[in-house]
Amino acid sequence: MSTATHATPCPIWSDWALDHLQVGLIILDAQHQVVFANQWFLQHAGLESCDMLNKTLFHVFPQLESSHFGMFLAQATRSGFPALLSQSLHPTPFPLHLPAAQRGQDKLLRQSIRIIPMSFSASSDVDQRYTMIQIVDVTHSVLRERLLKAQASKLQSLANLDALTGLGNRRMLNEKLAHELRVSTKTGGNLAVVIFDIDYFKQFNDIYGHLAGDTCLRQVADALRDVCRRPNDVVARFGGEELVAILPETDQSGAMQVAHKVLQQVQLLQIPHAGSGVARILSLSAGVAVSKPLQSLTPDALLGLADRALYEAKGSGRNRVCGFDAQDALIVTAM
Amino acid sequence: MNLTDTELDALTEVFNVGVGRAAHALSELARSTVRLNVPKVEMISKQGVTDGLTQQGADRICAVRQEFSGVLNTEAVLMFPVQQSLQLVQLMVGSDVPLEQLGEMEQEALAEIGNILLNSVVSGIADVLGLQFEGTLPQVEMGPLEDVLCSRDASDDEVLSLQIDFAIDALEIQGFLVFLLDVQSIASLKSTVQTFLGSLS
Repeated sequence: MSTATHATPCPIWSDWALDHLQVGLIILDAQHQVVFANQWFLQHAGLESCDMLNKTLFHVFPQLESSHFGMFLAQATRSGFPALLSQSLHPTPFPLHLPAAQRGQDKLLRQSIRIIPMSFSASSDVDQRYTMIQIVDVTHSVLRERLLKAQASKLQSLANLDALTGLGNRRMLNEKLAHELRVSTKTGGNLAVVIFDIDYFKQFNDIYGHLAGDTCLRQVADALRDVCRRPNDVVARFGGEELVAILPETDQSGAMQVAHKVLQQVQLLQIPHAGSGVARILSLSAGVAVSKPLQSLTPDALLGLADRALYEAKGSGRNRVCGFDAQDALIVTAM
Repeated sequence: MNLTDTELDALTEVFNVGVGRAAHALSELARSTVRLNVPKVEMISKQGVTDGLTQQGADRICAVRQEFSGVLNTEAVLMFPVQQSLQLVQLMVGSDVPLEQLGEMEQEALAEIGNILLNSVVSGIADVLGLQFEGTLPQVEMGPLEDVLCSRDASDDEVLSLQIDFAIDALEIQGFLVFLLDVQSIASLKSTVQTFLGSLS
């Protein structure tokens, strides 16, 4: 049987076809020595055929040996199952560039790779088990998707804004909080959430009208944005007159301080509030909650804790900050 | 033709060998610990699989399909509810952007994740049971569950179904791996498992 296969000559056009394929092709023997590399691959790798032939792949590309590609190749050879390396998870395993003539910017090509071991039945017809590596340049697709994503995220950021205050809206709050909780679980950091509520806001609207209410909300939002301006801080409007700050890498006392500063800033605004039961000017109440390392709270649970603290702040007289410490004991700080 | 509880128990053990290998490989990729577990293996009708997933509210699913051939021939279909497949890819790729749907590049990443899992599981079976298979490259499919499983035509057909629980960081995801087997292949699976069980006692 094997002699029969060997006796069948390759079609005369097969070399020409392989060399003009617009994908990279490498054939390895059972010892991972390169027995063939097509023109596309050689051109984009900047190599001559003699640089690769009869050398092991890891001799030609030493960086691949302990890479994911190396692991995938070893597994594919062992199991005989084809494997796929996606561009998203391994952008540029091979050092491939556009051929010199076409270089505008000399960047590595984004690669989508297939490792295809010869099947057991086919390899029984030849002297050994070969493996084919196919490399497709997906740089254009990556650029196209990046462009689409940039447009989408621009639209999304518009959809995530609260029209009145310019802060994030409820949707952005949900997304950011879930994201920051994942990050804090991964990095083992604290994540603080503070909910602010304007004291006697209904009375404010009743006395001064809704337009004044809107202006006041904007001023409070500006004060909040002013205090929470570390790059990863997020400020959002939770609904009605409730505003929220998400403070990554912030512990309980840090978050209480931030909350306090916001209360002070609003106090400095000296917005008259004749309907307030606690002061002559507009004031805030705030509830603080912190997700500690290894605690893995859900977004809802963390917001729920902050809400409970806010409830305590309001219940104990308003115009103050409340939080629960690690022992679940209430900490209250009045202005 | 059906598998007994003892045979299914043995298969659960064998599947967990392969799933363990997959967890190791996926952890390397995610640079984060990925835990996988197969709590349940059962022979169930396609309709049963569809009903189970529909109950979870997953009428649209994302699937990675590969064929394996050898002593027995099977199509392996790894399925996730669409929303969970998005979360899985987002976590593995480490992207901050919440995905609304899988783009071309994300689909390819999902194909890779499925490929790792399916290859590990089937090579685990091959190693433990002493079998040899040939495999194809993965295909990603998205759509209504019935279309992916073709359960409308032959809803009584029995499949070998595995529930696979993924845990990455705080995220928990349930996937389903279904092996479509013809009657002949079920028979050879049964006899292979019996031989394996015999070799243990």
